[in-house]
Amino acid sequence: MSNKALAAGLGSCPKCHKLNVMHASRQVCSRCLTLFSARKPKSIEYTLAWTIAALVMFIPANIYPMMVFYTFGKPEASTILEGIAIFIQMGMLPVAVIIFIASFVVPLGKIIGLFTLMYNTKRKTQLTLKQQGQLYHIVEFLGPWSMLDVFVVTVMAAVVNLGFLSSIEPAVGITYFTLMVVFTIFAAESFDPRLLWDNHQKHNHQSLSEKTYKNTDVLHHDK
Amino acid sequence: MKNHSVVNNMIACHQCDSLLPMPYLLEGQNALCGCCGAMLFSKKKDAINRTIAVAIAGLLLFFPATLLPIIGIGAAGLYNDASLVDCITLLIDSRNYVLAFAVFMFTIAIPVVRLITALYITWCIKFQQIKPSLLVFFRSYHVLDTWTMLHVFFLGVIVSMYKLSSLADMTIDGGLFSLILLLLCSTLMSVTIDQHSIWHELEKSLEQ
Repeated sequence: MSNKALAAGLGSCPKCHKLNVMHASRQVCSRCLTLFSARKPKSIEYTLAWTIAALVMFIPANIYPMMVFYTFGKPEASTILEGIAIFIQMGMLPVAVIIFIASFVVPLGKIIGLFTLMYNTKRKTQLTLKQQGQLYHIVEFLGPWSMLDVFVVTVMAAVVNLGFLSSIEPAVGITYFTLMVVFTIFAAESFDPRLLWDNHQKHNHQSLSEKTYKNTDVLHHDK
Repeated sequence: MKNHSVVNNMIACHQCDSLLPMPYLLEGQNALCGCCGAMLFSKKKDAINRTIAVAIAGLLLFFPATLLPIIGIGAAGLYNDASLVDCITLLIDSRNYVLAFAVFMFTIAIPVVRLITALYITWCIKFQQIKPSLLVFFRSYHVLDTWTMLHVFFLGVIVSMYKLSSLADMTIDGGLFSLILLLLCSTLMSVTIDQHSIWHELEKSLEQ
């Protein structure tokens, strides 16, 4: 098995990736002077807190309207899902799919992904390490893309401003949505992927040939 | 003394924490972790000069990209267009302060500071004026990298164009072209900047 820097008393700096001999639990990197620990301190606690905050924000983001469309002074408010339904009715399927993925599937998927990752750092799971690594990559990569809807509403509100004829105004929902996206990015930032490998090593410590655990003692309470 | 050589000749994967010998790379090669496959670092061709060029181009494009109107619509004799700055002022006018702040940070403030930071660092390295303050700048560059959202804003503009084209007559203005070029520069910067050798360079020069 590969040996870990942590076991050798070394730690790599999160900013410049320089290896340091760890003298204390928190110390300054010899190269870039960042204060760091071998593992992000309280990584799971922070990630959990940000993820729950994001989940809470997800609710008002979907209940309240994202924008209000005024035609001849008549307001028409629409939430995320209503907006998507309107696009499907209008026959604009590609936009409907993009918006549905970017503003509903991705945020929810990210929150579920973060919970799965956190679970994987504590318990034995069905996912292989490779899959866990990929999941982390996906969650990290998707971060900014959920802001898509926010920018769409911003641009639409600024451009569609023809006075009485028609205008668009952003509504409360979009603020909650922005906060949710920012919170999920913070959550992904505070997650330390090395914990996944630590946990894997801990569970496979006794017998290295325990590769069959995937098929034999699958955890059924993992949902 | 033994520890010193270990620290300089080894690298730990930032994803799985495997301890690996420091690979020696030729220009254009990437080093991947043998355990989890994450990219450790890569060595880029002519990184300093290219980064300076891209950063200057990006900074010059910033003014047209933020100030010129991006798209406009016309219907029944009325016409309205909006630039990136207009978007933000409009959000402030409609009292969406959180949103205005977020859009300002992600599309204007952070990308521009990121370009300036990269330019300053590479400029100082090129002309051999390395000072300890560069460490702070390059550390902040790493943070700014995750929060740059020009690419998402651009996709947002595209989606809005698609939506608007069915509602009214839509025109494309100079701001959109500047935005595309700015996005190109901003993305190229992540490709050209060689973080590993910049850190190495800073460490070497500051040790003396």
